[in-house]
Amino acid sequence: MDNGDASSALTRRQLLHMIGATAGAGAMYQAMSSLGFAAESPYKGPIDLQGAPRNASVLILGAGMAGLTAAYELRNAGYKVQVLEYNARPGGRNWTLRGGDRYTELGGLTQQCEFDKDLYINPGPWRIPYHHHGMMHYIKLLGIPLEPFFQVNYNAYIHSSGAFGGKPQRYREVKADYQGHVAELLAKATRQKALDATVSAEDQQILLESLRQWGALDKNYRYAAGEQVSDRRGFEKKPGGGLSGEPVHSSPVALHDLLDSGVWAGIASGDAFDMQTALFQPAGGMGRIGEAFGRELGPLIRYNAKVTDIHQDDRGVTATYIDSQKAGAPQTARADWCLCTIPLPILAQIPMNVSQSMGAAISAVPSAPAIKAGLQFKRRFWEEDEQIYGGITYTDLPIMSIGYPNSGFQSRGKGVLLGAYIWGLKAMEFTAMPPQERVQRVVDYGSQIHPQYHQEFENGVAVAWHRVPFALGCFGSWTTETRAKHYEDLCQIEGRIALAGEHASHLGGWQEGAVTSALDAIGRMHRRAVAQGEKA
Amino acid sequence: MRRLLLLLSIAAAAGAYADSPLFTSRATLPSLSGEQIYEHICQGCHMAGGQGAVGAGHYPKLAADKNFISWQFVATTVLNGRNGMPPFGYPSGQDMQSGPAHLSDAQIADVVNYVRSHFGNTYKPQVTAKQIAALPHPAAELIGPQ
Repeated sequence: MDNGDASSALTRRQLLHMIGATAGAGAMYQAMSSLGFAAESPYKGPIDLQGAPRNASVLILGAGMAGLTAAYELRNAGYKVQVLEYNARPGGRNWTLRGGDRYTELGGLTQQCEFDKDLYINPGPWRIPYHHHGMMHYIKLLGIPLEPFFQVNYNAYIHSSGAFGGKPQRYREVKADYQGHVAELLAKATRQKALDATVSAEDQQILLESLRQWGALDKNYRYAAGEQVSDRRGFEKKPGGGLSGEPVHSSPVALHDLLDSGVWAGIASGDAFDMQTALFQPAGGMGRIGEAFGRELGPLIRYNAKVTDIHQDDRGVTATYIDSQKAGAPQTARADWCLCTIPLPILAQIPMNVSQSMGAAISAVPSAPAIKAGLQFKRRFWEEDEQIYGGITYTDLPIMSIGYPNSGFQSRGKGVLLGAYIWGLKAMEFTAMPPQERVQRVVDYGSQIHPQYHQEFENGVAVAWHRVPFALGCFGSWTTETRAKHYEDLCQIEGRIALAGEHASHLGGWQEGAVTSALDAIGRMHRRAVAQGEKA
Repeated sequence: MRRLLLLLSIAAAAGAYADSPLFTSRATLPSLSGEQIYEHICQGCHMAGGQGAVGAGHYPKLAADKNFISWQFVATTVLNGRNGMPPFGYPSGQDMQSGPAHLSDAQIADVVNYVRSHFGNTYKPQVTAKQIAALPHPAAELIGPQ
């Protein structure tokens, strides 16, 4: 790549810089939108737990996705299963807030969800990539209907508050223009022989033709207004029928304006492995999964149980718990084995006799901050006025994104959208505000993108994950360093106790991480139980 | 890209709330005082007035906290985190939008002094940035996608 004369080298460098910048933006948006590593789920089909020792028992702490998955499989395998859950409902972070729900956060502030019937918000996970095979398996098993989740909507916006007079840009236009300009530049470099050292003459011909197709270039390899460009970025006046149907072509944004605006940073939002089509959402809310598991497991789950102590000896594990709703004497639950899925910031505060290394691992993983806000509006103006049906708008405002409902299209009456999905430092700051102020600010910021907000807004809820009593944060935030130092210690079975949850996975923040970590842990636990012939 | 993101976040921070340092960006974070840091970051968990909170786990009450007699305890906690609390002592430049927030040694001294002299705590003396600098900080590292 370092051959060639100085002027073409400069061109190459500029190109590489651009491409590098795009990759960086892609990485940023992957991080912004995925909360996960681009790793294939290790799920390999239904778990085989044959040969469970007679009367062997497992105590499961936490009825989130990890605990529910484990309880379901262990029960089916013949183990005696008990689950202790802090909340009055199953699911944990698999959770949907619907009209009529009340939610009290840490600090005691209560929000009443005033959404209309059938309208909801998922404060936690909201999308399931098709390759999260474990999640897909249990959703099918439980008979939960799925709907498509639109990660990318070409008619949603990328918004940069300091660019284009603050006017949000359609994803379609940004993508087409960026791609077109890059294709034109690369074609120019090719034709100026700047790539001679790296691309053969034959390949250059193919490259030029592919750039023409990819970037919608004209016969002179220029990205210029015309039929093929409008066919990508949209028309000034769309083609129609009859005498009034003649289209008017649109004009691309100039390369400089596009680069300077920063909106290109949103182009790759659907390119990350976890964001690639198809994605799904359970009809009626993500919480349908936890609810279905809860029905399936029935009395095996003890609700309102706040675990205060976990103690193992050479024959079993005893958990002490109190009723989280009313005063009363501590009670205990005991089993041969324990699968503990309690989120790490909470577990770090519960006495448990495990090794120093596992204890250090439990204390080493902070929780990521995140906020989600659901807003109800009098009408679905994003559909009626702006033709945005589902998908996500990305913005550099503190709200970071707006998620449009992926169901109920064109329904009359009210609509609920995700008004903010915030993380990092800004999530910390939103967390420090009372819920109503969070909602108010989300509405104020969102109105910069959708001016209809102030006119149409009715009510909203804002869930700050560090204030969620059963979680103390959104998900386990590993770093390269902490993972290298502590991850294996965290995932060991120590005596009769094993941990599971998204924090014990390489799919941090994803429900698939919880499911696969639970299956991994109970598989190992089962083999130990069989080897020891527990209560045989 | 850095420069652009910086510009973007500045633009965002200069929005409708000019009277308040909300919302903090990487550009404006370094100008926050100990009190502002408490109100805009710490208070999210430790609550107004340092009252703490109790759920399935708890956030420690900072009001009249006996551990605060040791400024090193407080400073080490802010720098490195503890039991799920995130570290704030990462080197500058590691605090991407997605990652942890970086506070300078002077800011950490300031917030340590603030919590040790408020909420019913009356500890002295004032801790300096130099004293904070002498304590162990979390290692420099690139934060991967979370």
